[in-house]
Amino acid sequence: MKEVHEFHVDSTRYLDDHGKPLSELPRQAGNTDRVLAAYRNMVLTRTFDSKAIALQRTGKCGTYPSVLGHEVVGTAIGQGMAKSDVFVPYYRDQAAHILRGVSLKELLLYWGGDERGSAWQNCPEDLPISVPIATQCCHAVGVASAMKIRDQQRAVVCCIGDGGTSKGDFLESINLAGAWHLPVVFVVINNQWAISTPRSLQSGAETIAQKAISAGLPGHIVDGNDYFATIEALDAALGRAHGGKGATVIEAVTYRLGDHTTADDATRYRTAEDLKRAWEKDGIKRLQNWLHDSGHWSPDKEKALQADCKQAVEQAVEEYLATEAEPPTAMLDYLFETLPAALQPQREQIASKYRGGAA
Amino acid sequence: MKNFKLPDLGEGLPEAEIVEWHIKVGDAVEADQVLVSVETAKAIVEVPSPQAGTIAKLYGESGDIIHTGEPLLAFEGEGDDTGTVVGELKSSGKGDGQGAQKDQFIVGAAASSKRARANRATPGVRALAERLGVSLATIKGSGPGGLITTDDVHKQASHQKQLGDAEPLRGTRRTMAKNMALSHAQVVPVSIFEDVDIGDWNKGTDTTMRLVQAIGKACDAVPELNCWFDGDNLSRQLLSEVHVGIAVDTPDGLFVPVLRDITHRNLKDLRKGLENLREAVATRKIPPKEMQGATITLSNFGTMTGQYANPIVSPPQVAIVGAGRIREKVVPYDGAATIRRILPLSLTFDHRAATGGEASRFLGALVDALQKAG
Amino acid sequence: MNTAKRSNEARDVTLVEAVNMALHRAMADDENVVVLGEDIATNGGVFRATVGLKEAFGFKRVMDTPLAENLIAGTAIGMATQGLRPVAEFQFMGFIYAGMEQIVSHAARMRNRTRGRLHCPLVFRAPFGGGIHAPEHHSESTEALFAHIPGLRVAIPSSPQRAYGLLLAAIRNPDPVIFLEPKRIYRAVTQSVEDNGEALPLDTCFTLREGDDVTLITWGACVMETLQAADKLAEQGVSCEVIDVATVSPLDRETLLCSVAKTGRAVIIHEACRNGGVGAEVAASIAEAAFLDLQAPVVRVTGYDTVMPYYRNEQYYLPQGEDIVTAVEQVIAL
Repeated sequence: MKEVHEFHVDSTRYLDDHGKPLSELPRQAGNTDRVLAAYRNMVLTRTFDSKAIALQRTGKCGTYPSVLGHEVVGTAIGQGMAKSDVFVPYYRDQAAHILRGVSLKELLLYWGGDERGSAWQNCPEDLPISVPIATQCCHAVGVASAMKIRDQQRAVVCCIGDGGTSKGDFLESINLAGAWHLPVVFVVINNQWAISTPRSLQSGAETIAQKAISAGLPGHIVDGNDYFATIEALDAALGRAHGGKGATVIEAVTYRLGDHTTADDATRYRTAEDLKRAWEKDGIKRLQNWLHDSGHWSPDKEKALQADCKQAVEQAVEEYLATEAEPPTAMLDYLFETLPAALQPQREQIASKYRGGAA
Repeated sequence: MKNFKLPDLGEGLPEAEIVEWHIKVGDAVEADQVLVSVETAKAIVEVPSPQAGTIAKLYGESGDIIHTGEPLLAFEGEGDDTGTVVGELKSSGKGDGQGAQKDQFIVGAAASSKRARANRATPGVRALAERLGVSLATIKGSGPGGLITTDDVHKQASHQKQLGDAEPLRGTRRTMAKNMALSHAQVVPVSIFEDVDIGDWNKGTDTTMRLVQAIGKACDAVPELNCWFDGDNLSRQLLSEVHVGIAVDTPDGLFVPVLRDITHRNLKDLRKGLENLREAVATRKIPPKEMQGATITLSNFGTMTGQYANPIVSPPQVAIVGAGRIREKVVPYDGAATIRRILPLSLTFDHRAATGGEASRFLGALVDALQKAG
Repeated sequence: MNTAKRSNEARDVTLVEAVNMALHRAMADDENVVVLGEDIATNGGVFRATVGLKEAFGFKRVMDTPLAENLIAGTAIGMATQGLRPVAEFQFMGFIYAGMEQIVSHAARMRNRTRGRLHCPLVFRAPFGGGIHAPEHHSESTEALFAHIPGLRVAIPSSPQRAYGLLLAAIRNPDPVIFLEPKRIYRAVTQSVEDNGEALPLDTCFTLREGDDVTLITWGACVMETLQAADKLAEQGVSCEVIDVATVSPLDRETLLCSVAKTGRAVIIHEACRNGGVGAEVAASIAEAAFLDLQAPVVRVTGYDTVMPYYRNEQYYLPQGEDIVTAVEQVIAL
């Protein structure tokens, strides 16, 4: 018997829990503007997130999935992508959406139950928030196929949680990405929880990144709370994709600090100690500490940033609350390019039933 | 092409080397005829043909190795491509006389169905109408969506009673009523009128004959008015032959026998044809076939009274020529007021199928032909 | 690597050949049209529906996918959001179920949920229906599942000409179309079809035969039996109007209602099982809007409410011509 293949999976981390470098930092650390922009986006995301939860609790927004804990990886994705790339999210990617140009108001509209929340003005080709698990992975390889067929130098980033990687769509999609050599980066945000199912029950594989091997793709693990490790991996993977070198799977290990959604109570299935330990690894705190240590940040700057973010979020909430709901007839107006004759009577029925609400 | 694969030549031998072909591409072979000699590990073997057929292709030359199961040669004809991966698909086979015609269908509802949707009543109301001798077609329904109600039927019945029993139309009158309504519902009629100065005609000229000939000339000049138009499918057929329907009024009603192919017949033949027609009408011996296929119609009501008219275009035709009573009129002629014999001429055409310009030019050609001396 | 200009020649083609002709035409006319599925490129499709496409347009536009129907559906959706016009094949309708989530949750509602920002101009094609002595799972007729989904169109051709025209319409349509090809009649009839690139209208029924006494409403392979039954009934003096529904959703109720207004009697024929079949929607629509025109109840001739038997007993399941004749005789008698 002889060994015909050997595989390995590497894992990268640059900062310890307190933001102190563990080794030489990658070149991205030298791009101060970019690092500062990253920090600002993380803080804005977190500020927005708290507000969204509050809105739900006061009946002004529908069920909402908190992004708490995902700010680092989402920001790295948003920064790594080119404007002409296409983002294929799942449902906990607020940090990335914001950098892609989705407005806070649009995010509130979506979770507030208004379809216009997906009619994104600034990133028209990004796929909408995906609630059915893992189905977006197939769309991602479809988009990447289109880019390849047209010889475009563009790439796709597809996000999915640890739970989603158990579903066929994920496995089928990474398989196609490998078979067709597609320009796509799969970012598995392993936040340790699929609602109440812990990572240990999700798969017997030691890492999720190694599922990439089954598809013939490179799989890398990064500490998803470590901005430098994450941005380095995204930059490298997108470079591969843009350069025609094919697909990559990145497993960003992090922790879902909030509940699954505002309708979930995580205390039912996880311990306070577990959560406390996770908070100690928080990525925003880590980066803040590093920025302080490097002389790029100060308490005054922090205060100013917080105020800015608060203001931006408040403005968005105001606009969102002031937005009138669509007329009831809107339910038929976007089904087809032109409403078929067969459906006209129903539209008339809706219009006359809700007179005053008819368009 | 149908491949013939190298069969197992004995004891599971995996391959053979082609030694010599005994046939070539294009040859017609019979079943069992030796095709090729091949050499296996054991011996030289001759391979017979599994079927009769014509050789289309050889898959190797002398010296080539062919493996068992690989194609050796191909016969012309239906491939062994079953065209499926499960089951069997019944095939019509091309050229078995079936199909290969154009598909005939109407997009959406048939015209008769669309009309039916207009005349609606419950079964009870229909029964009532029949009992009272009321035709639903005479009633405009006052119910929702134009539905005919019991009241509507009663109203119509008493209305009819006051006026006496309605006499149901039969025969040609009935047909006329139906056809006129049909025409009215579909045709978009436009009429143009002209006066023709026939002062230069010879004495005793047969007016109908002149009109028929003039129509022939006009159809040559403007063929667009000699066609059949399909309003449902918005298509038309320009016709190379001119068959003139000649409207004839009789005590038994209107008949329109057809004088066929007038532009390809000589004068004598046409005259005979016209005479035959007149006699057939007079003796009521016109077969129905003789009244079909007109491409344009002539209504010569000038034998009675009337100058101008807009007679009814009969689909699928697109035009009808009306000739009024010839009279003397005072008209300008060579600069002076003169009495001339004038034939009033009317042309009604279906504006869905022909343009005003075409109709006008047609009328002009008619006038030219009719005004000629002779 | 586009093929040479296609001429408008008329060719004698079977239904599956007409599908092929339409695909060639659509791909030649619009470089955004791409084709994907299992065994469709080199092999030309197991029914040869896609034969010649790879040779004419290259492997970039004619793709053999791995064996994963869910993936095929989802990939097509992703491509469509980028402005390609994918025509994805599911080898048999029986295997489309794996893609249901993608079709229902995404293809059907992408336009709606993004308020028109993204949409899916795609076609999902599948051979459907039974009667070819196939092994189990290869004879499905579940068009009702898709007819029930808002945002989807479901089109079913029944002749080579209509296959050509409707498939072109489906490919050019800006929204998703499920195009179900009745494989029992894939090769049963040959017609002369002009490769003129002219589409037939979707959302429209076709009147195949005019008649006065009863309206026969059907689609797919059953059109064959229905026309034969109409011939037989004509000998008995019963004049049948035969309507091919063609697009089972959205339904062209207007054509059906006009016909029933004229004849007063309707018989619906479909191979799919009875309960919850598209025939039920047609019957309900007629009852709602043409009750006053009816002289007899609306009757359905359908497959039984069971799984299609394996091939030995297959013929007991499928609606036969004599079933249609009997149903018509019954409504005429009333």
